[in-house]
Amino acid sequence: MTHFTAMVLFSLLVSVAFAALSSEHHTAPERVKYGAKVFGYFVGVGFLIACALYFLPI
Amino acid sequence: MYSEELSGQIAAPRPAPKARTIAATVANFIVPGLGHVLLGRVIRGAIIGGVIIVMFALGFVMEGHLYRPDPNEWLTWFFSFLNAGMGLPYLICALADWGVQITPEQAAKVTFEYGNTFLCVAGALNMLAAMDAYDIGVGRKS
Repeated sequence: MTHFTAMVLFSLLVSVAFAALSSEHHTAPERVKYGAKVFGYFVGVGFLIACALYFLPI
Repeated sequence: MYSEELSGQIAAPRPAPKARTIAATVANFIVPGLGHVLLGRVIRGAIIGGVIIVMFALGFVMEGHLYRPDPNEWLTWFFSFLNAGMGLPYLICALADWGVQITPEQAAKVTFEYGNTFLCVAGALNMLAAMDAYDIGVGRKS
């Protein structure tokens, strides 16, 4: 398993749980939309951090 | 005819009996998602329970380990608290010493820290799920 696979898997599972537990989204389409948004943020921000770390001399 | 779709409003949730609310909250610490099932939210309970159980299992697949509080290392108390959020599965593993000890080969694996994170987050999500079941029980959420 690669770092990226682990991150995507983590993002997927947590976003599904957040969508199911959300108190502000009541219908199934609203929850799916919210889950997809959270998943996108997780992967997107993770990818941006990874890109930033790539250029750091560590 | 009155319906939620026509009015555009969501009906106020009805609270469940107190004993059922407490039972549902506790049940979530026995089997993740069971609390929601007891309150009639079968699909939501199955999704939440499935996600938490898969996450817990993946934590072990990735060679992660469970924490036990160590008086000399304060951070272990925090991670143990997160792990303990799993409830009965954590208690069984901690008492039977399953997945608690670390070997040097295990710690050297690339996925070791991911595994630890998956195990901690599974516990944290289960605590959230238990609070969600309580909120549904008292009528704060639908």
